[in-house]
Amino acid sequence: MADVPALELRGVTKRFGSLVANDGVDLDLRAGEVHALLGENGAGKSTLMNVLYGLHQPDEGEVLVRGEPVRIDSPRRAIELGIGMVHQHFMLIPVMTVAENIVLADEPTRGALLDRAAARERVRELSDRYGLAVDPDAVVEDVTVGQQQRVEILRALYRGAEVLVLDEPTAVLTAQETAELFAVLRELKRRGAAVVFISHKLGEVLEVADRITVLQRGRKVATLDAADATEPELARLMVGREVLFRLDKAAARPGEALLELDDVHASDDRGLPALDGLSLTVRAGEIVGIAGVDGNGQSELVECVTGLRAPTAGAIRVGGTDVAGRGVRECLAAGVGHIPEDRHRRGLVLPFDLAENLALREYRRPPLARHGLLSPKRLRALARPRLETYDVRGGDVDTPAASLSGGNQQKVVIARELEQDPRVLVAAQPTRGLDVGAIEFVHRRLLEQRAEDRAVLLVSLELEELRSVADRLLVISDGRIVAEFGPDASDEELGLAMTSGAGAAPRHGERSEPE
Amino acid sequence: MSLPPEVPPAEVGATTSAARLSGFMRGGLAVPLLTALLAFVAGGLVVLATGRNPLSTYKAIFDGSGLNWLFPWISSDDRTLAALNLQQTLIITVPLILVGLAVAIAFRGGLFNIGGQGQYTMGTIAAVFVGTRLPGAPGLVHVLLAVLAAMAAGGLWAAIAGWLRASTGANEVISTIMLNYVALWLGVYLFGLDGPLQNTTQPSVPVSADIASSARLPVFWGDPELQGLHVGIFIALAGAALAWVLLNRSVAGYQIRAVGFNPDAAEYGGISAGRQQVKAMAICGLLAGLAGALDILGWQFRLATNDIQTSQIGFLGIAVALLGRNTAVGTVFAALLFGALVNGTSVRNLDPAVFPPALAGNLTLIIQGLIVLLVSAPVIATRLLGWRGRLARGGGSP
Amino acid sequence: MSARRGLYVAFALAAVAVYLTLPPLGLRTPIPSLLLAVAALGAAGAALRAGERRLGRAAIVTAIVAGALAVVFAGADEAKLADVFAWSALAAAMLRYATPLIFAAMGGVVSERAGVVNIGLEGMLLVGAFFGAWGADVAGGWLPGLLIAMVAGGLFGLLHATFAVSLRADQIVSGTAINFLALGATGYLFVKLYGEQGTPDDLAQVPDVQLPIGAIPFFGDALKQLNLLVWVALIVVAIASVYLFRTPAGLRHRAVGENPLAADTAGISVARTRYLAVTGSGVLAALGGAFLSIGFVHSFSENMSAGRGFIALAAVIFGRWKPGGALAAALLFGFSSALAQRLPAFSPSTATLFQALPYLLTLVAVAGLVGRSRPPAADGVPYERY
Repeated sequence: MADVPALELRGVTKRFGSLVANDGVDLDLRAGEVHALLGENGAGKSTLMNVLYGLHQPDEGEVLVRGEPVRIDSPRRAIELGIGMVHQHFMLIPVMTVAENIVLADEPTRGALLDRAAARERVRELSDRYGLAVDPDAVVEDVTVGQQQRVEILRALYRGAEVLVLDEPTAVLTAQETAELFAVLRELKRRGAAVVFISHKLGEVLEVADRITVLQRGRKVATLDAADATEPELARLMVGREVLFRLDKAAARPGEALLELDDVHASDDRGLPALDGLSLTVRAGEIVGIAGVDGNGQSELVECVTGLRAPTAGAIRVGGTDVAGRGVRECLAAGVGHIPEDRHRRGLVLPFDLAENLALREYRRPPLARHGLLSPKRLRALARPRLETYDVRGGDVDTPAASLSGGNQQKVVIARELEQDPRVLVAAQPTRGLDVGAIEFVHRRLLEQRAEDRAVLLVSLELEELRSVADRLLVISDGRIVAEFGPDASDEELGLAMTSGAGAAPRHGERSEPE
Repeated sequence: MSLPPEVPPAEVGATTSAARLSGFMRGGLAVPLLTALLAFVAGGLVVLATGRNPLSTYKAIFDGSGLNWLFPWISSDDRTLAALNLQQTLIITVPLILVGLAVAIAFRGGLFNIGGQGQYTMGTIAAVFVGTRLPGAPGLVHVLLAVLAAMAAGGLWAAIAGWLRASTGANEVISTIMLNYVALWLGVYLFGLDGPLQNTTQPSVPVSADIASSARLPVFWGDPELQGLHVGIFIALAGAALAWVLLNRSVAGYQIRAVGFNPDAAEYGGISAGRQQVKAMAICGLLAGLAGALDILGWQFRLATNDIQTSQIGFLGIAVALLGRNTAVGTVFAALLFGALVNGTSVRNLDPAVFPPALAGNLTLIIQGLIVLLVSAPVIATRLLGWRGRLARGGGSP
Repeated sequence: MSARRGLYVAFALAAVAVYLTLPPLGLRTPIPSLLLAVAALGAAGAALRAGERRLGRAAIVTAIVAGALAVVFAGADEAKLADVFAWSALAAAMLRYATPLIFAAMGGVVSERAGVVNIGLEGMLLVGAFFGAWGADVAGGWLPGLLIAMVAGGLFGLLHATFAVSLRADQIVSGTAINFLALGATGYLFVKLYGEQGTPDDLAQVPDVQLPIGAIPFFGDALKQLNLLVWVALIVVAIASVYLFRTPAGLRHRAVGENPLAADTAGISVARTRYLAVTGSGVLAALGGAFLSIGFVHSFSENMSAGRGFIALAAVIFGRWKPGGALAAALLFGFSSALAQRLPAFSPSTATLFQALPYLLTLVAVAGLVGRSRPPAADGVPYERY
């Protein structure tokens, strides 16, 4: 039976309305291997795994477990079949203990009651066996992200998982934690488990995987042995062309300093220090990229510069004026534009129509508003040419923003911000979740801003994006700038700087959007 | 392409009731009309189950409401009676418009104001307080002072809930419910036996003194002695017009609505969510307080503890606002519908031979409950129209 | 002295300060009480400085109020005081007033712990009151009355669950609708079935439990004759507490209320859990209502729940979504009702004002002025598998 795959997907297709998230995907998974699923954001990796875990039903195709066709209509069924999943957003109950989270839904009992001692014991046993050290009595919301991930893995193992799916597990981890995770994966493999490792990071995939399946826009493009694969080849398979695209970028001609941060300190939402004496300068006509592991103060940096968060100490000067803690309106008046990292949460009022959304920054000024009254006619008159200039498709001024595609929504945000004629533009992950065409659009707009002698601060988790767009790369770690590179810095250099900053432990509670 | 629909809907702005119910709030007249129709059909089934004829019952309620006055073909005797009935219907419609707006505007700001009743009560208390003082003041001044006092009382009462929400995050649903009861017991205390504002002539009756005649609103239709229609209807309609301007044509309304749908995006636009919440609640309280003032100055002229304890105006306002899709215009028509229903089922107006009024009053409550129930799930509205697609999923995704 | 202990000392001193001036001690001078109040103030101030900010402020207010009350009581008419503060009678009355609140509050805890806000408790209470009376009438016994009330309450719970879970309704709005519907439906049926006469006078009653403990001081008088449902309510609290925090099912129940997606991925049916919880919530609230009609006042009248469901909701919040906490809150609210019932000896109008106390206290609690109330994380949020 050794040649029967532990798990096999045949021709799995999943559609959401007109969107085909998975298109006839085949995948076979053997016991005792780490199988990487590689693809860009939006390639359909998570959807495929949600099909596998019973959260989505495939529209076509079948799933076989140990050679038997099965129907996985719920997570419960998936668990019964020995499939365990470590989600990108951990599926944990923050207010419960580690042990409670692990035994949930399969609890040891004594009589009719929960047997806490037994639960604790079983957790200890498991964590010893796999080298996953956790404190069973700790409350989950109090432990680090790395430990939360261990809890997730333990939970899957506790439920008897033989197939373990990890969805972008390293996105939130430090280098040290990543190394520990890989050791755990190797141990799991040695004990005969089949591991699916979802990622878009080539280096990690080559390091840990035995075989690699590449997805591109919902289709499987190749499955290859990791031993034979190279980074350039994987990159080509992933994006479908030799390189993403080459931006024609003239050399930067930096002018006067437009944005200066001087020893800025700030706390996060939970009151913990997030920025720890951060200083940086962005000059007119240059794009400065901020690289770093998610959750090292990027969000707080952006919020401080745009007036959404008051720093606890330090100065933030825009064209010489200190705007630290002055609020959104003053920052805007000083000339700060902001493409927020989460357009659904911050960038748009989804039920508002496009005209109303485009007015979000200037609704209180003439010509839109006079004597406290707002003119819908002028709102529309203002919006129409902008929709045209920025090539927003799929809706008119009266269309609710909710019904546009993500790329077009982002264009609305960009149109609004750039039309404010900002001196400083802060772009936070401006291409997250966008397709290649939309990404190119965003990048070109950013370069245009540079050409018009504006200062651009680009925060991104995508090193490729930072290298191709930014003129200088600053690495943020633990709320401080720890290194500076030119755009030709290698992955290794950057990665080292991002993860070796003193005690660079990302704090728990940072959001990262699903792909 | 781009974002696959894997973003949980809860994360794409449906964090407020306003965003969650935006499915019902969109679209035209069809959804509220169908909703009301469904509720009336279900109410009709209840009538049928009681062994009465639903059609003749509804006809009797309709006649009792006086809305048949609008028909050109009825006889002049009927018209006289219909006029009297319609005056009563409109008298009830006046506060319903205003408390309906008090719920609707809060809703647009992402807040569920269950406190319309308490704000209304505070308005009545303040109106009685001012109305029973200053005898001999010039009519206009007296009315104006009483109205302003009532609006201030209602506005402050509502602003407490808004302020608690903004400063401590206290859920406005809970705090407005609590404030309702505090207002109720405050009123019962003030006008009850031994209470500081109880009338002095009849110590055994828990009622306030009568307001001075100078504080009474003029009656313009019908006999002032027989509770004709007072000018408050114009004030209520003006209130609705102002609410329309506020919501659709003003900077303040834009801010309130932005916070209602997405407080984070509003903050990003330089709008402080907390300040808008206090503002929205205060405006709602002003309107509910005004409703109280118009009832006292227009036709009640005094306040009995029993009135305070049995009044349902504020709760009717919830149904009025929801059926009116939380718009100013919709609220006016929904208020008229409920005004007609309440008056048409009253002991005085419903022909007991067709249907017992005591039952019919409860029928109104059932219809009211069904309407609110149907509105609570936007899925129902979308299914009603077979109108699925993007908006039905709560607004996210491509 | 730790900050926390300072708090306890402050509250205890304040309590003693008031107690000195009440029967049976009934000191006629406020001096000792005032000294104790000042001491309480000092302890509270120390606790405040030591970091107990929220509760510290509450303790300061308590100390001041205690001092003021002591002055009032020391100067009050002794006979009237003895009449109002007949402790064992007060305790028995407190339990009676608290019972419907306890039942409904347990319903609230169960529902909200599963992530469904149940603002319809008021309506479910009323439904229980009517159907308890009707059931006792038509079936001629209190037990069938209770059963019918539970079924009716369960059906209303099921209705709320259908909207909240399957139709993903806004739970506040649908709960409000439940209240209107319950008010209309019970009123309609009451008028239709009983009309002018009201429920019959010989309505079957839930019996009292006689305990042979009359000889024990204070407790004997307070507990020797209480309605069966009072005891049932207390047992329900114990069961709810054990269920939620000591059993596997309770762990799953709470998981659904905290993070339904996590519960779902662990293989727990969110819908089933929520349906059961909300239906059970209706059953419990209906028991509270049945106590009102066939355990307490022996008849039904329209809208007889009179806001008790909302006080129960307040008790849930005040008790921080824990059965024991909600019980304590319900007893506190019950005590204030019992006191209000007796206060007219002093002044009827003050007694009226006393009725507002539970609502004011809850207002203070939700504002987070006293401690922090954190509801279950997913409370009120419809669950949709994305």
